Amino acid sequence: MYRVFLYDGTFEGFLTCAERILSVDIDIEKLRIENKSTYQPMFFDTAVFVNANKGISNMLKERIIKKADKNTFKKIYYCFLSEVQNKEMYIYKYIKLVLKQGKKVKYFYHDDVVNFVEKVSKSVSREIGKYMGLMRFNESEDGLLYAQFEPVNDILVPISYFFRGRLANFRWIIHDKKRGKLSFYENGRIRFLKKADLKTAFSNEDLLYQNLWKTYFKTMTIEERKNLKLQRQNMPKKYWKYLTEKK
Amino acid sequence: MDILEKLQILGAAAKYDVSCASSGSKRETNYGIGSTFTAGICHSWTDDGRCISLLKILFTNECIFDCAYCVNRKSNDIKRATFTPFEIAELTINFYKRNYIEGLFLSSAIKNSPDWTMEMLYKTVYLLRYKYQFNGYIHVKAIPYASLDLIRKTGFLADRMSVNIELPSEKSLKLLCPNKTKESILKPMEFITKVGEEERNFVSAGQSTQMIIGATDDSDRKIITLSQNLYKKFKLKRVYYSAYTPVNDDPRILKVEKPPLLREHRLYQADWLIRVYNFTADELFEKDENLDLEVDPKVMWALRHLDRFPVEVNRASYEDLIRVPGIGIKSARRIIKNRIFHSLDFDDLKKIGVVLKRAKYFITCNGKTYERHLIDTAPEKIKLQLIEKRVAEQKVHQLSFFDTETFGSVITGEI
Repeated sequence: MYRVFLYDGTFEGFLTCAERILSVDIDIEKLRIENKSTYQPMFFDTAVFVNANKGISNMLKERIIKKADKNTFKKIYYCFLSEVQNKEMYIYKYIKLVLKQGKKVKYFYHDDVVNFVEKVSKSVSREIGKYMGLMRFNESEDGLLYAQFEPVNDILVPISYFFRGRLANFRWIIHDKKRGKLSFYENGRIRFLKKADLKTAFSNEDLLYQNLWKTYFKTMTIEERKNLKLQRQNMPKKYWKYLTEKK
Repeated sequence: MDILEKLQILGAAAKYDVSCASSGSKRETNYGIGSTFTAGICHSWTDDGRCISLLKILFTNECIFDCAYCVNRKSNDIKRATFTPFEIAELTINFYKRNYIEGLFLSSAIKNSPDWTMEMLYKTVYLLRYKYQFNGYIHVKAIPYASLDLIRKTGFLADRMSVNIELPSEKSLKLLCPNKTKESILKPMEFITKVGEEERNFVSAGQSTQMIIGATDDSDRKIITLSQNLYKKFKLKRVYYSAYTPVNDDPRILKVEKPPLLREHRLYQADWLIRVYNFTADELFEKDENLDLEVDPKVMWALRHLDRFPVEVNRASYEDLIRVPGIGIKSARRIIKNRIFHSLDFDDLKKIGVVLKRAKYFITCNGKTYERHLIDTAPEKIKLQLIEKRVAEQKVHQLSFFDTETFGSVITGEI
């Protein structure tokens, strides 16, 4: 018999939910936090839906940063971006711990909750790092840059903010094909949209540069040092699908 | 000649240059194109497993010098090409906006004269920074014998500059690079260090260098001692080691069948011990010798100093902890932070990230060894246990592991 709190799937919604529960202090063993869209009601559960509220979620965010630091909050955010099952309860317990103990929780290696958050946030962070380098943009006739990817974690938002700093002078789209959503950047602003299909065509100039890049990529190999295993270790096959040089 | 062919020739000619780091610089601006990222970003990995971060090319491979080991030397009969500054700028920008690269690594053979070559490098970088407003990472070579004024002008536009030291001793340099002298290399290096200390925007990600390993008979002790001095004297950020790939058949070069990759790997590990772990070259080596290929340099050192072990994990100082094989900077810090709360046992060490497979021969937890028989074992016996499987298979991690310079992201380099 659980008390189930449902949220709308957004980080904001989750934080709002967590703040609600913190303020009433419910027995953690009888509690579950679930994404509304994937929740399957059980007979004895009582479920309530908590509306996302920017003010409340920000309040909790500030509290976490004040008690610990920005980095701890980032870990929570990254962990949330993963699609690991039951992440909500782990993160909730982690937040509770952080609010009590501050940033030193990162040294609690014997704690399963801390270990979970450290491990998952690190793997999300690693994926973001990989895509900073492995994202490939193609240019269309009218100068729009278009990239597609299928990340394991839901990292469209952080990766888009990274490219805002980098490709500020261009118009671009980053398309998460796996989740059917995209970010569109123009004039300093990013908009996040839902869209499954998108028709794009490369310009002739783009084909020229694709070709130049492929040639360069091949040229840089030192045959005597060939080590395909090391290559795959650094750049696993799952990334190859959208890599210009691997097509 | 079309741009594709030029790229092929001048890319191939640059591929033996090992540095590809794009780290150490942080630039976020709200105008122009691009940014740099403190930790550096790898954009691809070639079939040899080395990372591509920068568009690494030569401006030209036409050379008036005739260095024995160099594929571009004057006496080689190869296809020659020369870029224009405009071509390089266009390539860089177009690669960059497609996110193929993190920036430009511009090197060159010496055409016409050192000053002419340096001037061309300067013009290229100038074009990128001012006309294209490119803010990405730029690494430029300083050309030996070029005027210091040109080097200075270029340094204000680059994130990193490097002068290749080429070979580990003056004797080897004389033998293989008759056109270069020790002074022609050290003078610009010293100059870059000096200006870098006075001016804030000069070569903001620092200076590096590289040397060739295995083409001459210089010992690892000589090499590591040289690196140690370079770090100390010129405040270099990195010294790169490049296992010599036989490209020329020259009687002056030692016979090399295959590039000595494992030796290169061991040198990087020893280099790491010097830069990060406070080891000195004199501690690592007992005589004029090479590093042990079978075990990493820290194990090599520990086996020669068994009298300093075992180290008691719950009491040892940070300095003693980082000298234990299997304990890195990160785990040493964690041990210190964590043992405040409770005394540590071997299970805790595992969670902290200590590699017990190596560390167990050298530590105690509350006076206990990992297994009872582990104490008083002879060095040779421990060594037999520690010879890495992958070494036996000759499969070696290279380069990309060592490119992160920021402390926080130092993980894989730990030994």
